[in-house]
Amino acid sequence: LQKKTQLITGAVNVPLGHVIGHEKWKGSQIAQELQGKVKLILEDGLGLVDFHLSNRCCILYISEADLVAGNGFKRRLVRFRNTCNLQGIVFVEKTQISNQYFPEMQKFVVLELGMTLLPVASQKEAAQLIAQLVQEQTKAGNPFQSKKCTRLLEPSVLHTVQQIPGVGKTKALLLLENFGNIQQLCNASVQELEGVVGRSLARQIHAFFTQAK
Amino acid sequence: TLRNSKSQAPLCILVDNHEISSGPEVISTLKTVHGVKVEICSLGSCDYIVSNRLAVERKCQAELVNNIHQSKMVQRMQQLKNKFDRICIIVEKERIRTEAWKVFHRTKHYDGMLSAFMQAGIKVLFSACQMETADLLKELALVEQRKNAAIHVPTEVAGPRQDVFRFYLSIPCVSYTLALALCHHFGSLKEMANRYNSL
Repeated sequence: LQKKTQLITGAVNVPLGHVIGHEKWKGSQIAQELQGKVKLILEDGLGLVDFHLSNRCCILYISEADLVAGNGFKRRLVRFRNTCNLQGIVFVEKTQISNQYFPEMQKFVVLELGMTLLPVASQKEAAQLIAQLVQEQTKAGNPFQSKKCTRLLEPSVLHTVQQIPGVGKTKALLLLENFGNIQQLCNASVQELEGVVGRSLARQIHAFFTQAK
Repeated sequence: TLRNSKSQAPLCILVDNHEISSGPEVISTLKTVHGVKVEICSLGSCDYIVSNRLAVERKCQAELVNNIHQSKMVQRMQQLKNKFDRICIIVEKERIRTEAWKVFHRTKHYDGMLSAFMQAGIKVLFSACQMETADLLKELALVEQRKNAAIHVPTEVAGPRQDVFRFYLSIPCVSYTLALALCHHFGSLKEMANRYNSL
């Protein structure tokens, strides 16, 4: 009998709020725990992948037994990396027994392959995490995504000008009103500066901008 | 060649001075076990800088389990995202007094945080103790060195140049390492300002 070693190299169409899982997870604790949280569709022919979370993102599951058995799982991950253009998240069962193998495995998965690694203690935890990942994808607005910089620049320019020795808030405002921007301030002569601030400060500011290393 | 001599240079990692009290073993392990050049600086916005583009935050696992400090963390991450191309979080277990395997109760919030980090492109690593954290920092620095992003600028700024350094540092989106580079690369601020007319 020839075993199916078909590889899925591209996207699988996953409906929103669903997870597509490998046939072998039928009747597993993960499948049971996911009930009522997300809809799990089991299919055969997923190849190396255990679960597809979206069209772009999938999970490869490494059990405690895989980890203890040696480096077989590494070959699977490398094959996945070489053939798939999907984002792969590696779930690993980190238990009291497999704990000692975890640091080496983490270096391999995250630092060598550049994939994401998430430890779980059991299939029950894995199901909770899968549900959370699916939820996160449907949610709008990630708190850690940097927002478009809509801040006014004036306050930060003012703050930067105040880093000049001897210049406080009042003087900084005066200087910006007179010279417009930092570049023009940098190019101001001592005489021009004297028109705005006192002689000694004018010299100090000029020296600050022109002092070479 | 120059490139070879560069890769032979010792790894350099910048450490925020708060870590002296909160992560003493991380610092001593980096120095004594891994032979890393550790520079204690007042980074303010992050715990470690391991390359010109990668900032690392050390978080204790308990902090991620419930949302006590959530808003503070979100704010800090956004600041980091403005200044660094890459961010990595090392989730470290607390020290356990007994030898017993402590059961960790993960929460929905913890899983939500991990998902959000992933979605935002923030790398997450897990560590069992401060020594393991040091090992991960060194490995991260090595990967960055291989990609030609290692910190090679002098980390010392002396005398009146310190004011110039602070001036650079106050510009939004300028990281500690970029401020150092600007400081050492340009003769004077005037020279820099005329080079970048958009300032």
